[in-house]
Amino acid sequence: MPRLLHTADWQIGRQYPRFEPEDAAALAEARITTVETIAAIAREERVDAVLVAGDVFDAQTVSDRTIRRLFNALAAYPGPWFMIPGNHDAALAESVWTRAQRLGAVPANAQLLLQPGVYAFEALGFAVLAAPLTQRHTYGDLSDWFDRAETAPGLLRIGLAHGSVQGVLAEDIDSPNPIAADRVARARLAYLALGDWHGAKCIDERCWYSGTPEQDRFKDNGAGQVLLVDIPADGSAPRVEPRKSGQYAWHAWQFRLDVDTDLDRLAQELERLAPHSVLQLDIEGRLDLAGRQRLQEILAVAEARQRALLTDLSGLRLQPSESDIAALQADGYLGDVLAALRDRQADAADALAREALVILAGLLGERAAGEVR
Amino acid sequence: MKLRSIRVEQLRQFRQPVCIEDLADGINLFTGPNESGKSTLVRAIRAAFFERHKSASVEDLQPWGDSSAAPRVTLEFDWGGERWRLVKSFLRQKRCDLQVGGRAFSGEEAEERLAELLGFQFPGRGASRPEHWGIPGLLWIEQGTGHDLQQAVAFAGEHLKSALGRSLGEVASSAGDEVLARVERERAQLLTSTGRPTGEYQRAIVEHEEQGAALEQLDADLAAYREQVDRLGELLERMREDHRRPWEEFRRQAAEAATRLAEVRSAQAEQQRAREQLEEARAAQRVCRERLLAFDEQERELHDRGEKQRVAVQALADLRAAQPAIAARLERAQAAHGAARDALQVAHQQEQRAQLQDKVAQLANELEAAAERLGRAQTLQAGLRSLREELQSTDIDTRRLGRLKKDARALEDLALQERTVATRLRFELHPERHLVLGDETLTGHGERLLLEPVRLRVEGVGDLQIQPGGEDLTELLRQRERLQDAVAAALAALRVASVAQAEERVERARTLRHEIERRESLLGEIAPEGIDALQEALQLERSRLGGLHASLAELPAATAGAASVKEAQRAAERASEELDAARRAAADREREVGIAEHTLAHAGAECQRAEALVQAPDRRRQVDESQAKLVELLAAERALQETIATRQLAIDAARPAVLEQDQRRLNASADSLEHEAQAREREFHRLQSSLEAQGAHGIEERRAATQQALELAARRREQLARRAGALDLLLGLLRAKRQELTRRLQAPLQRHLNHYLQLLFAQASLDVDENLVPQTLVRRVDGADQHGDVLALSFGAREQTGLISRLAYADLLQEAGRPTLIILDDALVHTDRERLAQMKRILFDAAGRHQILLFSCHPEDWRDLGVAAREMRSL
Repeated sequence: MPRLLHTADWQIGRQYPRFEPEDAAALAEARITTVETIAAIAREERVDAVLVAGDVFDAQTVSDRTIRRLFNALAAYPGPWFMIPGNHDAALAESVWTRAQRLGAVPANAQLLLQPGVYAFEALGFAVLAAPLTQRHTYGDLSDWFDRAETAPGLLRIGLAHGSVQGVLAEDIDSPNPIAADRVARARLAYLALGDWHGAKCIDERCWYSGTPEQDRFKDNGAGQVLLVDIPADGSAPRVEPRKSGQYAWHAWQFRLDVDTDLDRLAQELERLAPHSVLQLDIEGRLDLAGRQRLQEILAVAEARQRALLTDLSGLRLQPSESDIAALQADGYLGDVLAALRDRQADAADALAREALVILAGLLGERAAGEVR
Repeated sequence: MKLRSIRVEQLRQFRQPVCIEDLADGINLFTGPNESGKSTLVRAIRAAFFERHKSASVEDLQPWGDSSAAPRVTLEFDWGGERWRLVKSFLRQKRCDLQVGGRAFSGEEAEERLAELLGFQFPGRGASRPEHWGIPGLLWIEQGTGHDLQQAVAFAGEHLKSALGRSLGEVASSAGDEVLARVERERAQLLTSTGRPTGEYQRAIVEHEEQGAALEQLDADLAAYREQVDRLGELLERMREDHRRPWEEFRRQAAEAATRLAEVRSAQAEQQRAREQLEEARAAQRVCRERLLAFDEQERELHDRGEKQRVAVQALADLRAAQPAIAARLERAQAAHGAARDALQVAHQQEQRAQLQDKVAQLANELEAAAERLGRAQTLQAGLRSLREELQSTDIDTRRLGRLKKDARALEDLALQERTVATRLRFELHPERHLVLGDETLTGHGERLLLEPVRLRVEGVGDLQIQPGGEDLTELLRQRERLQDAVAAALAALRVASVAQAEERVERARTLRHEIERRESLLGEIAPEGIDALQEALQLERSRLGGLHASLAELPAATAGAASVKEAQRAAERASEELDAARRAAADREREVGIAEHTLAHAGAECQRAEALVQAPDRRRQVDESQAKLVELLAAERALQETIATRQLAIDAARPAVLEQDQRRLNASADSLEHEAQAREREFHRLQSSLEAQGAHGIEERRAATQQALELAARRREQLARRAGALDLLLGLLRAKRQELTRRLQAPLQRHLNHYLQLLFAQASLDVDENLVPQTLVRRVDGADQHGDVLALSFGAREQTGLISRLAYADLLQEAGRPTLIILDDALVHTDRERLAQMKRILFDAAGRHQILLFSCHPEDWRDLGVAAREMRSL
């Protein structure tokens, strides 16, 4: 009864340009440490092999150092690691794999299945039917030949492929690298380990997408896990159990501010959020100057707690209240200016007017503080 | 505020108290020459308000050299419905007392009340300076400062603005300008004045663009890299095929084609040889035919020659037959020619005879005429001789005759002269009485002219000697004698009795001369060379006639019917022509006969040669041989043609050109396939190493890093753009609102300014800046607005606009409930008469609202101001 660890879409070498450099570096680094985590899980769970269903690397031309670091990260689990290329790291004439081989970076415990074919492992009791991508995109089903592939009797047939299962992932209907939905049945597979889809997804009891082990986008679809797969020797359905592998959880929130207590609510929710998350926070609604000050403080606290915080305040209107204006001591024509800026925001959020208001409030605030002193 | 009285004591030249009372509400005019105390009075008023009573810096108030004096000023004025009385003394006696209605203030308290009332400040220490004077500094114009408004307004600015503010019930922003300046500075860090990015913002844009360009470059690199990878894959695929060496099959096919081509080539060589043989056979045939033709030619030649010989014989015979006729023609022609010549000679002689006879007749006529002429000439000559003799005897010297006539006229003139000059003796004697005058006895009555002394004897009385007077008379007598002698001599010489006779003879001589001339010319015509020549010629003619008769006698007698010379000559010419023609015909025939004889000889020789050839011994044999050979050659040709046709079919079927192309094509295909394979292999290795090198550089990782930098730059650019935009918006709003407010604040001042300005410049307006200082004067000139900076106006115009502005400020202050007092010390000294008149209207107008103290050293300028002047010296 072989026990396998199914993972895919490591996307080693991925960068995060939307984030501040410091956060981006940490997120990129996490992808390699997650591989170390996977190796640790594999060793702990004493799996017979780790199946990596494509997109190990995010790009063909990652640096030599990155290649070496990835293969070094496998060290904790003695193997074997079965890896196929995906669309990001297809086995082209010159590819990240040929480079890795030239560098001599590929350790003995890693098996690169760069050509389509049946790889039989009698000792392990199964044969791997690998459908690596040898082009960036194909429009034919690379797993088609699985149906006709011969394997020694007694060996479990385990498919390893990278692509979109037809008719299941609605948004990927026209996507390249198609895989027939009934491949498992037609090719008499005990299990089909798939990659490409970044969330964990069960197509049927013998066919799974493991998802990426480290979340890399704001989509809550079960990313950040690996699958522990136990395949009964009698040919009955495998037992599939997800294991958490990711470091950072990604969240995207939309938040609306209308009344003063909304700010309290935001503060509470941010406090409840597990630390070291990656948060996209879009805030809309309206605020007075005092409220804006408070919001800045709340966001500063959250920023310090979390791995990364992306905020979008473009939908926020800044409307000074009477008390704001009184506090700012905006007399004479300054009062007219404040009123004009406020009026411009009455109907819609005007980024320039909001910024101008902030600047004016800041200057007046400084001045008021100076006078108080 | 109305000043009521001024009292000055111990102050400069006012050592004695001076008091001015009854000051009017409107204009108060003080006049006086320099040094009369005008400025001292002004100084006193200023000191009363501006100087601290305790000040030690007011020594200028002391009278000259009197350090013990205590200068004192007492002012009374009405304000706020109350009478204010200010007494201020300095230096020796430092004191200040102010009574307002019933209340009294003293010292600094009094001074502060005054400062607050009028709107000025006291100096911290020392004398009061312009910056302390505030509103009075603006309204109290010192000598020669009327044009300089800027500073005075600046020092009064706060008071003015607060006055304005109060009048509007608004408060200007206290922080506005500070905030505006801050925003301006902040904006300037990001944007230039024209709104172009600068500083950090510009750097952010450059950074963003650079990162964008870098990303584009990396994208291009990446695309190139991917293309190379694809190419490598393609090459790998092709190289797999190349390993089967597909070009070798082509090489084999090419070799096969070459073998077949060689076979065809040898067949073609044989064909060529056969064709050459065919050509040779045909050439031999041509030789045979030519020989046979040559034999035929010889026979035809012989026939032709015989024919020619016969023709020649015939031609000669024909020519000879015609020869006798030609000889007979020649003889005839010669005879005719001789006869014609004889006839011509006879004709010539007949003609000569006729001519001689004509000449003889003519000559006889001439002789007759000549003899007649000679006779006439001889008669004429005899007549001429007798006429000449008569002329000889009648002719008179005309010059002499002239002199004679002259003398005769002179004598007559003299006689006339004598009659006038001579002494007249008129006498009427008694009958029977007489006088003897000289030798003459006078009786009866008469008159005598006495020209020379004469003795008159009176019988019985004695003699009277009468002496005619004058020497002239004597002279005249002498002349008469001389002339009478001359006339008598001339008449004698001319052998005439009188002058009339002489003239008659002259007339006769003239007639004779005419006759002689006429006859001489007649003779000249008849015998131009004289009568002797005429006689000689006659003799000559006669001898010629004798000669002609002799010649005529020699010639044969005239024959009747002889032809004329012309006809004879024509007949002779015709005979000569015929003779020539006959001779030419004879010669031609002679030559033709010679040629015909030669032709005949030649034709005979040729005929003999041709006959010799035809009769040669082995000619027949040669003809037979040639004919046999020709038959043989024709058979050989037919055989060759058949062989060639058959072989050509075989060659065409093999298509050697196509075979050759096949061989070339297949070899070239094989070569190119092999070359391509080699090239692919080279390219593969080159690409592989290039890709290996590039892979190590991690293009995509660098691209990701660049993209990250780009996004960061974009975020920064966007932030700065938003900040710049916001600052721009804020600055614009601040300025707009501020300007709006300023305009609202300035409106009243503008109104007052324009009120006065209309009196000076029609349709003009004066713009003030935010400090309320007039900036631009707008005037209508020729229907267009003309803008002029106030500072650029002439000194006089600046003085005028300065005063107008001050009056406007006064109006403004008054509206704000502030006291106004206007003091003009020698104002408008640079203003021309016309403008001054207008300024007076303005002052009069202002005086309806404000009290004005006007000091002037030109009283005559202000007579029409509507107020009485106060003489300073009368104070």
